[in-house]
This record gives sequence, structure tokens and C-alpha cells, in this order.
Amino acid sequence: MGKRGAMSRALVRRETISGYLFLLPSLIFFVGFVVYPMFMCIFTSFFDSTMGRSDIFVGLANYKELFTDPIFLRALKNTVIIVVVSVPVTCAFSLWAASVIYKLQGPLRSAFRCIFYLPVVTGSVAVTVVWKWMYNNYYGIFNYLGKAVGILDKNINWLGDANFALGCIILILLTTSVGQPIVLYVSALGNVDHSLVEAAQVDGATNLQVFWKIKWAQIMPTTLYILIITTINSFQCFALIQLLTSGGPNHSTDTIMYYIYYEAFKLFRYGYGNAMGVILAIIIAIFSALQFRLAKADTSY
Amino acid sequence: MKKLLALLMCVAMLISFGVSAAFAEETVEITAWVYPVGNWGDPAVVGPIIEGFEAANPGIKVTVEYLDYTSGDDQVNTAIEGGQAPDVVMEAPERLVANWGAKGVMLDLADMWDETDEAEVFEGVKTACFTGDGKLFVYPAVMTAHCMAINYDAFVEAGADQYVDLTTRTWTTENFFKAVDALTEKFGGPVCAVFCAGQGGDQGTRALIANLHEGTITDGTQYIAASEGNAKALTELRDSEGVAIDASIVGGDEIALFYNETFKMAFCWNAAQQLNPNSANTGAGLTINGQKIEYMAFPSEDGVPSLEGGIWGFGIFDPAVRSGDNVDARTEAAKAFIKYVAGSEEGLTATVKAANFFACRDTIKGASLEGIWADNEIMAGYTTLLSNLGPYYQVTPGWTEARTAWWNMLQQVGTGTDPMEALTAYDAAGNAAAAG
Repeated sequence: MGKRGAMSRALVRRETISGYLFLLPSLIFFVGFVVYPMFMCIFTSFFDSTMGRSDIFVGLANYKELFTDPIFLRALKNTVIIVVVSVPVTCAFSLWAASVIYKLQGPLRSAFRCIFYLPVVTGSVAVTVVWKWMYNNYYGIFNYLGKAVGILDKNINWLGDANFALGCIILILLTTSVGQPIVLYVSALGNVDHSLVEAAQVDGATNLQVFWKIKWAQIMPTTLYILIITTINSFQCFALIQLLTSGGPNHSTDTIMYYIYYEAFKLFRYGYGNAMGVILAIIIAIFSALQFRLAKADTSY
Repeated sequence: MKKLLALLMCVAMLISFGVSAAFAEETVEITAWVYPVGNWGDPAVVGPIIEGFEAANPGIKVTVEYLDYTSGDDQVNTAIEGGQAPDVVMEAPERLVANWGAKGVMLDLADMWDETDEAEVFEGVKTACFTGDGKLFVYPAVMTAHCMAINYDAFVEAGADQYVDLTTRTWTTENFFKAVDALTEKFGGPVCAVFCAGQGGDQGTRALIANLHEGTITDGTQYIAASEGNAKALTELRDSEGVAIDASIVGGDEIALFYNETFKMAFCWNAAQQLNPNSANTGAGLTINGQKIEYMAFPSEDGVPSLEGGIWGFGIFDPAVRSGDNVDARTEAAKAFIKYVAGSEEGLTATVKAANFFACRDTIKGASLEGIWADNEIMAGYTTLLSNLGPYYQVTPGWTEARTAWWNMLQQVGTGTDPMEALTAYDAAGNAAAAG
């Protein structure tokens, strides 16, 4: 018994070691590219860290400065606006588009899925260049069409006017954000238990009731995933700003991500940039937790 | 048999190792990162220069990497922080002295500076490349005068050609605005733009505003842009129907809009642009449809402008931010490379030609450089503007922050903020950065 027990323990140990060895490659990447940078981000946020000299410990000074920095507060406000507008619109539009697409048959359904997914797989720089051309103040298509149909009297400087610039950014973000949710929703709607739908219909449920009581509940896990992913993507809006407006005009399109880049890579204020990164991570975590909680409470059916 | 085979393989490996080690001892490999200074971003142009150097220095191999002004700074900064900086970098004092030099990551090249350099290099260039305490972070090579450009055919069509003097390439503020009005009346506005979306080209808008009513941006140590002259210039530009203060375009966009004839004037111009407008290879001094482009100095009240100079040269990063073996040998090789491309007659001539600019000295080791552009009418004529060069103040401390603040200032003026208020905020931001 003792000998068999010892053999069994040796076997377990050997299998455990094998398991960890299989995990090791992924673990190295995870630790090297996720855990260590996260730790360094938090650690450096307590220092006045810049290029060419040793870091100076400043405690919470970077965090204190953040909340008195008008540009950071403006960037925070812009980021929240982007999230608050783009997340619900993306989810609602995706659900609507998917509810139409999933009823289509064969090639037509595939074609629409492909069309909506195209902006996702197209390089963000290429997408941005096209949008920049469409928004162009002097020969952009929006001004051209607007004047042609009589909506506009004169050209609007879409990206150069603080009244329009953020809205223009959000519009681009929407077009690049809806592809994946639509594909996911089409799949989720296709997996809804049809017997439940038929039973409800037999019981006299209206289309709205069928959707709300049966389908919506069954696609809730997908919705939760889409909400969280879209929220994170919206919080991390950077490339569009960098390529189109550089945060202007007059800081009207500054986002936290862009401001982190500016402080860390242009002004070499690594500690301050990392403090912003920590705050952004906390905000995203809070938003995600809230969404989890709300969606979890609504998943029973 | 197997033992013999193994022995032979070992011997072969040892020999190959010995050969490669010997090769490594003989050949020093250095890397040079270059910004697109004129055609220094074109491998077809730079390649022969490198080949010329390597032929003259058989023990050194140079690998060139080409940066752009959009992401180049990020690449360099990331490399510095990762200890992977290149050996040599080609750029202007505003980056090599005011930025990386001030951060202590550039190598002092004062030991390369000999009596000939001291005697031959222009005084203004020396001031820009040396720090106050005598450190040399840029070994200067080429320079130019930033200027503006006009679509001369459009000027003629609008009757605005009467306001420009193509002999002196200068004009007055009054005539500039008369020309803007004439062009606007003929073609509709705007006919030019004070671009301010950010990134490069700031020298154009700065020189325009500073010249219109004899304003100043810095005194070399602090930012003093909040003056009546600058405020008046900004007010006039904003109030002009033909001038847009446009926060949606950068300098490169402005050049493209001028090249495609949307604009009739461009403020982001220099000799390299005149030779190859919009880098489109469609002919020197011509727009997309073949209309004639003329370069002009920025307008000023008395018609005597103070132009911003552009200076470019080579620097070496401090060994502390460079990795790899043979750092000392690479440093010496890098110095030899710089001495060739910027300090020898053959190399500097090629560098100047590649950059489409002018040498930072009249002679090199006694040999005259005046004939470099004798075969090029545009470049020979462009030297007219060099006599109007003002002080190079882009090495004022806090320049990186001040440049961003400049765009913000213009954007604020464009959205209705009082110019003096915006200029005061610009000074405050620049001086705060300068104070550290």
C-alpha cells in the first residue's frame, strides 16, 4: 500500500511537472508581457521618472497632480463621452443588424457578415486615411454632398472644429466597432433554442415578447461579452486620435490613452503617464464589473 | 569512423568560428538612423554616399535605417529607453541638442571639432550645435532658410503679382494682405491656411506670424511671444477671409493642398520642396497641373524679413543607451563616418546634394563649396534668402513642450480666444517647461 502510494505520488508529481512545462511557454509570455508591465506601471507611477536620470520617489504626487490637471480632466470627460455614446449605439445597432442578417439564407447572410466585418480586418491606418479624406475641409465628400443637397451653406471643418471633431471620431469608431458584435450576434441568435420560441408563440406571445423574454435572455452572455469588449475598446481609443487630430482642436478630442502617450512619449514623464494608466485601468475595471453585475442579474430565463 | 567524422566537424566549427571572430575584429558595424532631411530619406540617394564612405574606410560597415517625422521620435525614444539606440543619428539641433542632448543621452563630440571647423562653420550654426557649457551634440552638415511659396500663375491671374518682388523674393505685410484679398476675390477663400493640427511644420507658421509685425518668439532662454506685434498678426490672419486657421491639417497636408492648387500660398516651404514639390516627382517648381511655384520670404512691415533657419547634422548617442559589443570601436567608427559625411569635401558635397540644402560652411579645409549648386538655377537663386536668416532659437530650453503649446495657441486663436491671451498662455507653457 505504502509502495503504491509512493508510486502514485511520484506519478502525480511527474504529471504536475509535465503540466507546468506545457504551461511554461504561455506563462513566460503572460508574465513578461502582462504581469511584469502591470507591476512596473503601478510601481513607476509613484516616481518622478524621466529619461536620462534616476527616478525620484514622489509617493502619490502624480495622482494628486492628475486631478488638478485640466487637460487630463478634459481627456477623461472626452473618453467617458466616447464610451457612453459608442457602447450603447454599437450594441443596439449590432443587435438590429444581426437580427436582420441572421434570418437571411446562405451566401446572402455570409455576404452581409463579410461586409460588416471588413472595417475590422482593414488596417486602422488605411481606414483613417479614407475617413480623413471624407472629412476634408476643402474637398471632402461630406461637404460636397452636404452642399449638393442643400444641407450645408458652406464647408464645415469637421476635424478642425471643436464642435464636430469628437463626434467625427465617434462615428469612425462606430464603423470599426460593429463588425465583431454583428458576427457574434448572428451566431448567438442562430443558437437560440427554437423550441422555446415556438412554445411561446403557441402560448400567444407577441414578437416583442418573444424577443424580450426568450431571445434577449438567451443571448445575454454574448451581449455581456460585447459590452465589455466594446467598452474596453472605446476607453482605449488612441489610433484615430493620433492619426486624425492629435487631441485637437483645443484639446477637444484628447482621450486618456492619447494623453498618456503624449506625456510619456513626447514629454518623457513616464511616472505621470503610468499614473494615468493605473487610473484608466481602474475605471475600465469598475465599468466592466458593473456591466457584469447588471448582465448577470438579467441572465435567468 | 564516427569519431573521425565528429572530430572533423569540430575542427570545421572551430575554423569557422575563428574566421568569423577574425572578421568581427576587422569590421566594425555601426547603425545610422536618419530623418528624411531632403532626400536623406531615400535609400537610392543615400546608398551611394554610404558606399563612398565604406570604400574609403574598408573596416567599417554602415547600416542605415530611415525614420519619418510622424513616428521617428517615438522609435528613437523607445530605443533609448531600451538601451538599443543607434550609433549615429541625423537630425536638427532642436532634437539633438534641446531634447536628447538636454536629457544627457547624446555623446559630446567636442573632440571632433578642430581648428578648421572652428574657422569655417558659420557662427549661427555653431551657436545652435554647441551647448552653453561647450558640449557639441550635433556635428553640423547642412542648412537652409525656411520660407513660403506662392502659385505665381494664380497670382498673375488675380493681378496679385504686382505685390511680390521676385528679384529680392521679399514683400511687405501690406502687400501680402492685398495679395490675399485679390486671390480671394478671384478664386474664393480660403487661399492659404495657418495649419495647426500638430506635428511638423511649426517653423512656417511661427515665421509668418513673427515677421508680419516684427514679433519675437524667444530670446534664446525664455519665451516672449506675447507681444503687440504677434497679437496683431494673429488678429489680422484670423480676420482675413482668405486665410484659414485650420486645426484639421498639418504642414504636409498644407503642402499637398498647395500642390493640388486648392491653396495659392504655402507657409511650410524650403529649397527641397521647391526642387520637388510635395515630393511628387512631377517637376521642380511646378504644381500638379504645371502652374509655376515661386518661393518667397515671409512678409514683414519693412520688407526685410528675419527667416528661420533649418540646421541638420549628425550626432552620436551616449554609449550608455547603446547596446552590443565594441561600443568604443563603434564610437570611433561613428566619428569617422560623421567626419566623412559632414567634414570632408567629398562627403559633405554628397550630403548637401542629397539633402537639397546648403552647406553649413563656405569652405571645407580651405576648399570652396560655393560651386555645389552652380549647376542648379533654383538652388543658386535660393541663396538670396540665406542672407535674411535670423537667429536659430529652436534650441531654447523646453522646446518640445513649447512646440505643442504653439499648436494649442493657434487652435485657441482659431476658435475665438483673444490672441494676446493665447500668446500669454503659450509663453507660460514654454517657460514652465524651460524651468523644468
